[in-house]
Amino acid sequence: MRILLVEDDRDLGPTLAAALRAENFAVDLAANGIDGGHLGETEAYDAAVLDLGLPGRDGIGVLQGWRAAGRNVPVLVLTAREGWSDKVAGFKAGADDFLLKPVRIEELVMRLRALIRRSAGHGQPRLDCGPLSFDTQTGSFELDGLPIRLTAFEWRVLSQLMLRKEAVVERLDLLERVYEGDADVDSNSLEVIVGRLRKKIGASLIETVRGRGYRLTCGG
Amino acid sequence: MRLAPRSLHGRMLLVSAVATVVALVLAGSVVAGLLGRFVVEGLDRRLDAELTLLASAVDGEGRIDRARLAEHASVLDGGPGWRWRIAGPDGNVGSADFSALDVGPPPPHGRGPDRFNKGPRPMEGASEQGVPVHARQVSLETRRGGVTITAAAPRDVVRRPIRGAVVPLLAALAGIAALLTAAMLVQLRIGLRPLRRLQEQVAAIRDGRASRVDEDQPTELQPLAAELNALAADTRAALSAARGSAANMSHALKTPVATLAIALRDQPGPAEQVARIHRTIRHHLARARADAVNRRTATPLCATVTDVMAAVTAIHRDRHFQVANEVADDLSVAIDAQDLEELLGNVLDNAARFAEARIAIVAVREGRRVIVTVSDDGPGIPPSERGRVAQPGMRLDEQGQGHGFGLSIVAELVALYGGSLMLGEVAGGGLAVSLTLPAAD
Repeated sequence: MRILLVEDDRDLGPTLAAALRAENFAVDLAANGIDGGHLGETEAYDAAVLDLGLPGRDGIGVLQGWRAAGRNVPVLVLTAREGWSDKVAGFKAGADDFLLKPVRIEELVMRLRALIRRSAGHGQPRLDCGPLSFDTQTGSFELDGLPIRLTAFEWRVLSQLMLRKEAVVERLDLLERVYEGDADVDSNSLEVIVGRLRKKIGASLIETVRGRGYRLTCGG
Repeated sequence: MRLAPRSLHGRMLLVSAVATVVALVLAGSVVAGLLGRFVVEGLDRRLDAELTLLASAVDGEGRIDRARLAEHASVLDGGPGWRWRIAGPDGNVGSADFSALDVGPPPPHGRGPDRFNKGPRPMEGASEQGVPVHARQVSLETRRGGVTITAAAPRDVVRRPIRGAVVPLLAALAGIAALLTAAMLVQLRIGLRPLRRLQEQVAAIRDGRASRVDEDQPTELQPLAAELNALAADTRAALSAARGSAANMSHALKTPVATLAIALRDQPGPAEQVARIHRTIRHHLARARADAVNRRTATPLCATVTDVMAAVTAIHRDRHFQVANEVADDLSVAIDAQDLEELLGNVLDNAARFAEARIAIVAVREGRRVIVTVSDDGPGIPPSERGRVAQPGMRLDEQGQGHGFGLSIVAELVALYGGSLMLGEVAGGGLAVSLTLPAAD
């Protein structure tokens, strides 16, 4: 899963990015409203974390720009100001959730996971697919009730397939949500990751759809 | 002493009225003077004709032809008060009572040219009864000496037509004056209308119904409108700067003071000092905030409730309740939009935390106040607790996150606007929070 983080604070931005990467997310960090606005309008993300007080272009404006451009990526707004008027303005502009600074990393991650899950259309925090289950609150996978260890890339691919289980996930779409914006992408690497995943969870769960992409099939 | 009236209207009206009266008095006196001259000239012509007739009755020797005079008696007898006399070497001949007439040359400021004339001279006088007369006199040279012929008519003959003309003349002039004044009034009304409109627009800014005046004004008012807009913008900027610096300061101080409080938790003495710092900061921030509060504003209530409720619903999306916003569309309150959002945010958030299934928002206007009541069907707050929860100054850090969380902030903010917060009970057990807020006009 790929997150857009728009935060101008020189300490907080990289800290949050590192913390999110430690939770397996791919993170693009933009340090001002103009870059952030542009990334959000052109790239595919599973969620965005948006600070309101930004240089260049303020957060509300960035969010309005995304919504006007038809981007419905779930957005979690960060603000330093207590009080309701930022919240009201944020939700009115199309925010999906709100977090007050100072941010607790655990809370941010939990909110982001819930946001991504809800926007994928799942009401329950736990997703099941045959023998595989995904706890969206902790981000952990279990196979037949036993936890499995995944690398960050494997987790990004599998969580993406799990959120859209039984549906074909286009190759390009998957690539976009697995690699960070500035990463060198080897076109074969996706096949390598999927190959390793099949070894861990069984070959039958991930189906290759020729010329299109992959599908997680749960019916067996 | 102040002579000019205070109002522009009054000043302009006064100047125009004075000018009108002066002009009309001048016009009136010129017309009356001219009229008088025409009448006097007419009379003089008649008296001169009489003199010519009388002179024709005097021959070169100074003798008077009485038969000729008798022949023209009807012409010479103009009526009561008309007299004549021929004074020659043989004595006087004339109207019976001429002796009673006392005539002399008119005062020197009389009609000039005649004094140097060889022709008839004007004379003024009065009869025995004091009736003023106007006379003409001519002197003839005869071989036996000078003959003086005088013809007189009552002054009244001149005065009557003048008097007759002056009354309608004055009436006409008064009519013109009234008409001009009325025209001036209309002109002032039309001319000063843009000023009145500008004043209404400035009043609208003051009441918060508008943020600037219309700059599409008559040429003379355009610079004023531009200046007013600049002034309004400055005021807004100053207000938001004051508000911003108050918010920034609270922001900047809150964290270090909170950190200190945690660090000194176990040392009662220093902890008490930190608490004092905290109270002092809060007191002064509240005062700065109170000064910056914009009371001249109008924020629509229903739309704000809708916006805030959308945020509250998004935050409590895991709780399921129905919201009934029954606030009328046309109600507005004289509370800054941000502050109203803060008030409603806290009250609605509290309701969303504790509602079982339903939150209702109603508002009624009572005179200059609007009473907004937010009720939920949650557990409510026992009457003994209500006073404590709604007490200004009780902050969330002091009372935890129990029921009523944030209501003390609401109580403080409402107090800044001269409103009040009341906690009550809904039939069936929920909490009803009533905010009394100033209504916007």
